[in-house]
Amino acid sequence: MDMRAVLTVILVMAPFGGALLCAVLGASKAIRSAIVLVTGIVLIVSALMLAPLVPFRLSAATFLGADLHRIIQVADAALLLIILYYGFKHRHLTIIFLAALQLGLTIYLEEFLVKSPPPVERIFCDQLSLMMVLIISIVGSIICYQAIPYMENHEHHYQVMRSRQPRFFFVMLLFLGGMNGLVLFDDLVFIYFFFEVTTLCSFLLIGHDRTTIATRNALRALWMNSVGGAAFILGMIAAYKATGSLGLQEVLVAPWLAGAGVYLLALALLCLAAFVKAAQFPFQSWLLGAMVAPTPVSALLHSSTMVKVGVYMALRLAPGFTGTLLSQSVAVFGAFSFLAGAALAVGQSNGKKVLAYSTISNLGLIFACTGLNTAESMTAAMLLLAFHAVVKAMLFLSVGAIEQHIASRDIEDMRGLYSVMPLTALITVSGVVMMIMPPFGVLLSKWMAMEAAAQNLYVIVMIALGSALTVIYWARWAGTLMSDPFAGRFRPEHQPVLTWLALGPLCIGAALLSVGAPWLYLNMIAPMMMGPYSPAYAFKAGGLENAYGTFAIIPLSVVAMLGLIVAAVALKRAFRAKIVSPYLSGIQTGEPSMFRGPMNQPVKAEAKNYYLDTIFGEARLTDWVNLGGGILLTLILGGAL
Amino acid sequence: MTETAVMILCGLIAGPVVGGLVSGLDRILTARMQSRIGPPVLQPFFDVVKLLAKEPLVVNVWQAFCAYCYIAAASIALVLFFLQSDLLLIFFVQAVGAVFLVVGALSSTSPYSQIGAHRELLQILSYEPLLVLVVVGFYLETGSFKLTDIYAWPHPMLLKLPFLFIVLGYALTIKLRKSPFDLSTCHHAHQELVKGLLTDYSGPLLALTEIGHWFEVVLLLGVCTLFWATSWIGMAILLAVTYFLEVLVDNITSRMNWRWMLSYVWGVGLTLSLVNLIWLHQG
Repeated sequence: MDMRAVLTVILVMAPFGGALLCAVLGASKAIRSAIVLVTGIVLIVSALMLAPLVPFRLSAATFLGADLHRIIQVADAALLLIILYYGFKHRHLTIIFLAALQLGLTIYLEEFLVKSPPPVERIFCDQLSLMMVLIISIVGSIICYQAIPYMENHEHHYQVMRSRQPRFFFVMLLFLGGMNGLVLFDDLVFIYFFFEVTTLCSFLLIGHDRTTIATRNALRALWMNSVGGAAFILGMIAAYKATGSLGLQEVLVAPWLAGAGVYLLALALLCLAAFVKAAQFPFQSWLLGAMVAPTPVSALLHSSTMVKVGVYMALRLAPGFTGTLLSQSVAVFGAFSFLAGAALAVGQSNGKKVLAYSTISNLGLIFACTGLNTAESMTAAMLLLAFHAVVKAMLFLSVGAIEQHIASRDIEDMRGLYSVMPLTALITVSGVVMMIMPPFGVLLSKWMAMEAAAQNLYVIVMIALGSALTVIYWARWAGTLMSDPFAGRFRPEHQPVLTWLALGPLCIGAALLSVGAPWLYLNMIAPMMMGPYSPAYAFKAGGLENAYGTFAIIPLSVVAMLGLIVAAVALKRAFRAKIVSPYLSGIQTGEPSMFRGPMNQPVKAEAKNYYLDTIFGEARLTDWVNLGGGILLTLILGGAL
Repeated sequence: MTETAVMILCGLIAGPVVGGLVSGLDRILTARMQSRIGPPVLQPFFDVVKLLAKEPLVVNVWQAFCAYCYIAAASIALVLFFLQSDLLLIFFVQAVGAVFLVVGALSSTSPYSQIGAHRELLQILSYEPLLVLVVVGFYLETGSFKLTDIYAWPHPMLLKLPFLFIVLGYALTIKLRKSPFDLSTCHHAHQELVKGLLTDYSGPLLALTEIGHWFEVVLLLGVCTLFWATSWIGMAILLAVTYFLEVLVDNITSRMNWRWMLSYVWGVGLTLSLVNLIWLHQG
């Protein structure tokens, strides 16, 4: 059998198998952990083995002797019925309506509209799919590993009587399979099915704790993502009417249709589905609500994988709408999300919410790049996709570890965390550094994005403002973690081995990936630049260069490394320096942060961070931002018509 | 290869030497405006040498790490400028320094240092977008972000980017820690936050922040020269006039609060930038 087909099947089916095993045999902790570990290793190995084989297309007509198309159709109907069931169970009219609508539209599309035989070349894997597969399989598995000790603590903390971890890991693994399926198939019907799988999984995972608030937020996520699902299927119908095909690659190589109303409408509707999945304004509330879930869920669904489905779809569709008003409005919409997300993040003291808004913001930047739709901007978008996934997953897992240790996710409570959990604090700070500083990859992609956007005034102004806001909320957080009157010795705190095994490789991997950015570009992105694009950057003197800009990655990394060594030596020497207490106008007492107040009584000196919530608070901005997002969405859909 | 080495060396020397001299001249000029004689022009160097010779004192060992990162980033940014690299890249590298200075200040629990650090963040928030838009202006005029191309441009940029020069002036005033924007820390004795951002940096570390500041000043003055890059005399006159105006503004304005700074700098700065960028874009 073809190696490529085998790997594809493993990547999609192994997590499903692992999930089923977890559900059946997962009552014992050892067996459950073993299943998760083995599934993760299988996924990572398969993804790495797939790497040298791309790009390829394969026909997949049957699976285990049955018609594959029919299997997916049945599974799809079953999935929608499950969603319908949850709609009735929670008496949620919107969900019932949307699920019924999708069911009706699916039947209409498949039974009445589609006359010609469906495309047989259903598996399509190019470098973009591969990049997603690698992120899903490697980062996703690492997150599942960290979830093992996390959930143990979590249930201990909540004093759960009967462990619900088998169900938890069932859904987590199912989700990984669904994600891999979504990026490996080309048939829109299949993509739609896996799209719905991720919707259902996120619903189940967000509601995992079964508290009132968890259920409410899970239902919100379900109905909002159902809007995306409905837009997706409407987009499919429009795409079929315009091109007579449901194979995504066939739909996209219909250049003579570019500019035709129905065709663009189809792409706009699919983009709308992508925006919902990526929680862009005004759909951000499902992602914020999803933060009630256990932190590995937030990391898996909402930082590194599920929300990336949205940008993945937009990147796929982009060649179909080059040079149209649709493309331009997607760029403005994305830049708006970037700015608004960054502004809202500044107003937050809740660490997970900062991460959530930062995710929305970064995804917005990726959409902006997609909309700009030049070779430079597409390169920036794909690099940002990869780097953001790794760094953000690491930050989420760090915050999860911190949260379990100090029982709070508020940044104010993390003040001086370095004295409590030095290693986690340092890893978090390095995550922050990788988000905002050269020579790291996130900044490299932001640099590319800015240079690519410089011709578009709306976009560049919003990116410039958003970028400054981004620096504020990250720098503030990093500083707060280090804010500590003591300068004691460095002693790593105790954490489960699996937590270190998750955080360590992510941190080191993110740094190495940044240094390897030129090769990432040459091997994964440059080959994607065909059709309307041509490779935009040349690898020269250890950096990426084009006609108007240079980013010297390798030299800069070397210099940064030297700087780091000098600073580290200075740090080591500072341990020998005289330690004095922080300045308190000369009236400090012996204890740190205490000064002599009235009547000679000791008073604690305190300063809190600025969150500027009169300007950037949720209460003040959310309505306006939703309005802005709504108007821009109308522009996108209207502009397509 | 030797040329590169020479340029790196130039950058590393020009930062402290030129920066220190500018600072000395600044102090004399300020003194004359206030009817004083002022210190000798080399006084900033004496100050720094004295600080370097002091016993190291730290509140938190990470201050040392941050101070070294600050000076490293500031000097790398200037060296990249001398190597005629990408302007946006230089901007990002100097931002690294600014962030580390803030993190170092936040690592002390003194409220003076903490509030100073937050004000510094607000200053960064105020000037960063403006600097990006100035760089975008250069790109729209010359079609490149590379300094080699921008310096090779045959016409003085000031004539096409007049408003962006004013915008750069705002950023320069904030970066030079001049009134009315000297919220986080300043060189004068009128700071309600003791020394704000720099309160808990002392001795050799304080000296490093001062030298880092010189690197930053020279970098920004270098960016100013881009506006009249066609002749040395033009460059010199532009720099002299700009710096004189900076000192003048410093002496005739009083310090404002951050709300005013943010709304004023974003309001006026963004409007001026947009007008100029639209002009370039359409022209």
